[in-house]
Amino acid sequence: MAELILSDITVMGPGYCVIGLEQVSAEIYRSVRPMPLRAFAWREPFPYKRGDGVRFDPVPTVVSRPHVEDQQSRGLILTRQSTPEDELVACLRKAEVSKDLNDLFECSLQVSDRGGRALWVKPAEAKRSVCGCEYDNIRFRLFADPEGPSLRSEIMLSSGERISSIPVVDREWRRFVAQIAQRIRRADPRPYLERFLNRSIALKLLAAPGRFARIGLPRPKGDQQCWLMLDSLFPQPQDAWLDLL
Amino acid sequence: MSVTQPQDEASIRELILKLTSRELQPSFSVSDNDQDLMATGVIDSMGWVGILSGIEEATGIRNIGASWPEGRAQSVRALVDAVREELDKIKPQCEQQGLRSDATRALSVSVAGWGYCLGSRRVDAATVEQECGLPAGTMFDRAGIRSVSRAGEGETELTLGAKAAELALEAAQVEPDEVDVLVATSATSLGFPSLAALLHTRLLLRESCVAIDVGGACVGAIHALATAKALLVNARRRSALVVASEVNSQRLCHPGVPGEFRGLFGDGACAFVLSSLDDSDGKAWRMGDFVSGCSGAFSSSLQVGLRPTGELEVDFKGEQLASAAITTINQVIGNLEDLTGIGRSEVEYLALHEPNPRLAEIVAQRAKIPLERLTRTAETCGNLGSVTCGMNLCKALTHLQERSEDSRHRIIYVAAVGPGILWAGTYLFWDSMVRRVAAPTS
Repeated sequence: MAELILSDITVMGPGYCVIGLEQVSAEIYRSVRPMPLRAFAWREPFPYKRGDGVRFDPVPTVVSRPHVEDQQSRGLILTRQSTPEDELVACLRKAEVSKDLNDLFECSLQVSDRGGRALWVKPAEAKRSVCGCEYDNIRFRLFADPEGPSLRSEIMLSSGERISSIPVVDREWRRFVAQIAQRIRRADPRPYLERFLNRSIALKLLAAPGRFARIGLPRPKGDQQCWLMLDSLFPQPQDAWLDLL
Repeated sequence: MSVTQPQDEASIRELILKLTSRELQPSFSVSDNDQDLMATGVIDSMGWVGILSGIEEATGIRNIGASWPEGRAQSVRALVDAVREELDKIKPQCEQQGLRSDATRALSVSVAGWGYCLGSRRVDAATVEQECGLPAGTMFDRAGIRSVSRAGEGETELTLGAKAAELALEAAQVEPDEVDVLVATSATSLGFPSLAALLHTRLLLRESCVAIDVGGACVGAIHALATAKALLVNARRRSALVVASEVNSQRLCHPGVPGEFRGLFGDGACAFVLSSLDDSDGKAWRMGDFVSGCSGAFSSSLQVGLRPTGELEVDFKGEQLASAAITTINQVIGNLEDLTGIGRSEVEYLALHEPNPRLAEIVAQRAKIPLERLTRTAETCGNLGSVTCGMNLCKALTHLQERSEDSRHRIIYVAAVGPGILWAGTYLFWDSMVRRVAAPTS
């Protein structure tokens, strides 16, 4: 049985992609992506949250780049109390961490030559599909989507580099934004929502000592491009922040 | 960047089709203008945002993604309609700007926000004298400096400049993604990427926001204001951020730099948000015209360069420079009087560069200006290079803002000199002064 601390729960279509930290030694953790037997994502009901300790029975898995962390399993079992966020971030800092953009997936990044300025990598070149990094500034943008406002961000890494137009797939941040949107009683809440995120919420993030981001890669589609996604953004949103509205 | 907006439906459609075609999934095509691009899988969510971002860059429309109505089809026709609707909304503004005369447009740029910050370490004059090998008491007796502000650990031109910029943006209630132009100046930031590039990234300004570095050392802030204003006046841009930031303590900390020069300087940053929108309801500090030039006669009085070995080389003739600075600042004030038709006795505040506080006092004495109408920085912070007159301008604006509104029918002169001898000046005036200020140049 393998034991993990759940570190990333990201929205992936109708389900969730999950990554956990496996302790290799006192000072080293590594990312493992436990998956159901016949799918990439877990479906509802998915009762777990970041920080939860889980164990699972690994099944031999064929992995392909860049998703070298994939590990099929027969299911997750809760093992212990949740790890507090500050401790989780401390563990994440002992896992895959990058000082700069090029080190994120140990391959060169490509800038979209189309309209969005988003970044992508070639799947065959990336050595991993998730990596942590420190950030010094963040802004949010919302785009219309039939399934609700689509959240993107601009991040400035501590290396001084910028990741533009990166989709936020962090489950908790997506839920938080949906909650704010519900509270804003306007026909179109998005402009107010964006302003609230960039004023009140971004300040909370930037003032926090446990500021950390995990950048991930989705599965490549036909165009053989893996776009960078914001898998986890720490600190995680807090219910109390809704009262700032 | 400046944008040329598509004028008719055909050119809007052409733009949308071009943007859509480059976001298409491989082997897909658009069958008709009503095809829902997302629902039919012709483009994915990355492509959709790519199209919206492309529209924003090509048209200057802000945030078209956030104003897309829920439930509206994501088709070429819907995109064309959305762009047309947004262009209709901003058309009156653009037409109004286009119809204004050059003179009116030049007076339509206002200072919407300002802020400054200093290096977090305060070093008293006695310590500076010891460090720089100066006789005790000379810092205050000769230069009028009681202490200097120096950057603390981790403080750089970037961090100080970013802090000042955030304060100015907050005061102006302008979001970083609303900034169209960033102009930065620093005599001490010598590396690449340049300070403007670093600030642009640090503040996460839009990628299409102009980022320019200007020089001038102690006149740098005025050069930066002039550049920003010109870029606002001559194109459909709305907001500019001007940042001056200097960390002299690190740049000048070399044995080869004379102590009497090194000891004068402190570290800090200031920032201004300029706005070209005439939505101030008659309550705004307008930016006036600029005077600027270079009188090379005393250029040898201060020469700073890098030796081939990379060491800083400073040739400083203090008395000659002081004499040239006093005369030149006085001349700049005279030029501003000529430009505005308003005498120095009527000016509410003068925000001057202070090579050192004693020189500022002599300038005031010669120019017959009461000392209380000079805002002062160098006595407690040291000479902050380009930041000095910018910070003095911030202080003047804050003092006047704190007064009741009726008393703000005033004008501020800003003047500075720098190595070269470069000189520059400008003025800010409250709205009610528009007619009076505009008269001499109209």
